Amino acid sequence: MSVQRHELHTLTGSYALDALASPERAAFEKHLDRCDTCADEVRGLRETAARLAMATAIAPPREMRQRVLAAAPLTRQLPPPGRNLLPGRNLLPGRNLLPRPGRRDGPRRVRPSQAGVTAAILALAAAVVFLFVTQVATQHQLRQVQASSRAIAAVLAAPDARVESMTASVGGTVTAVMSLTRHEAVISSAGVPALPGGKVYQLWVMGPAAPRSAGLLPASRAGITVPVLAEGVRPGDRLGISVEPAGGTARPTTAPVVVMPVPA
Amino acid sequence: MLAGVARGDHEAFEAVYDQLAGPVYGLVRKVLRDPAQSEEIAQEVLLEVWRTASRFDPDRGSAAAWVMTIAHRRAVDRVRSEAAAALREQKVLPGPVTGEDVAELVETALDRQRVRRCLGTLTTLQAESVKLAYYGGYTYAQVAELLGVALGTVKTRIRDGLIRMRDCMEVTW
Repeated sequence: MSVQRHELHTLTGSYALDALASPERAAFEKHLDRCDTCADEVRGLRETAARLAMATAIAPPREMRQRVLAAAPLTRQLPPPGRNLLPGRNLLPGRNLLPRPGRRDGPRRVRPSQAGVTAAILALAAAVVFLFVTQVATQHQLRQVQASSRAIAAVLAAPDARVESMTASVGGTVTAVMSLTRHEAVISSAGVPALPGGKVYQLWVMGPAAPRSAGLLPASRAGITVPVLAEGVRPGDRLGISVEPAGGTARPTTAPVVVMPVPA
Repeated sequence: MLAGVARGDHEAFEAVYDQLAGPVYGLVRKVLRDPAQSEEIAQEVLLEVWRTASRFDPDRGSAAAWVMTIAHRRAVDRVRSEAAAALREQKVLPGPVTGEDVAELVETALDRQRVRRCLGTLTTLQAESVKLAYYGGYTYAQVAELLGVALGTVKTRIRDGLIRMRDCMEVTW
């Protein structure tokens, strides 16, 4: 099916209003790269559409502000695009800038540039924000949470942050964001079964020496545990989680439900 | 301000939030209707602004247009994926959009007034096409079906209507 050039040109309006179905949108974007007058017109019509948008302003729910502002520092930002992008391509904040959900296919290792990292970090950020709004009762607690959030945010924002995700033997997923330059890792879980009273999940850093406790996983809320920070994490170590008596122990007493290698 | 956001300046992001959260939420809500979903999408959009601020190029348009483009695209993507799912299930067409929810609007009275005045300079068909496409989140093909006119007619009415809006509001891009 071939579409006449002038016919494509009349699509500037529909394109500016996102009124093209995806195949036609893609075809028009291809055309935009070659048609400067179309690109100019789209720009003006998008500005016009923005005025239509501004006129719809209503006050958002008040809690939204706190949630968004709390999540931002926990969300890694994209670096500037550099000079090697094609001039026409970043005209619009298109699909390629929107994060896509990562695939779930068992344990995997991803580079920080991949979209899965974004998803994992957003999940962690959401968990922290969740903690903010549901668990914080006092100013004192708020300060504690803020301090640990800052430490966690520093790991998430580290340039060398890597994400590892594994399925636990008891079910559910354990996700770690690790920064080897900081020697720190942030661990959270989703869907790991709750334990009976008197039992807890304990986190271990397992190096060449004896396993070292990195604290207890907090009880999960809505299936998600709030991220915890593990320090002194070295390349080649492993992170483990085991079921222990309440309060934790000095050495693991049961086989770990998950063992996650720290990349060398 | 977005340049500050791109450098991770939290205060700049707060300022952007305070300026644009209302329009973002308002626009998403206009398209999606459902308050809970709208809040979810609006949050995603604002975090997306934080995340991708370095990709904003002031030579290519205003910050408001950049943010509103992200917001509208997201809202529309949500509507279409849901509509696609619903169509697969039971072949229902999305219901028609009713009149403006003027009563809901709390700020930017001047913007609203100007938009309303300029919409008034359009032909009925142009105004309906633009409103259904933008506020309703419909494709031009759906707009054509809703209005009972030919596809080509809707395409040109949307473009002519928007151009008239642009000139009426003295948009300078």
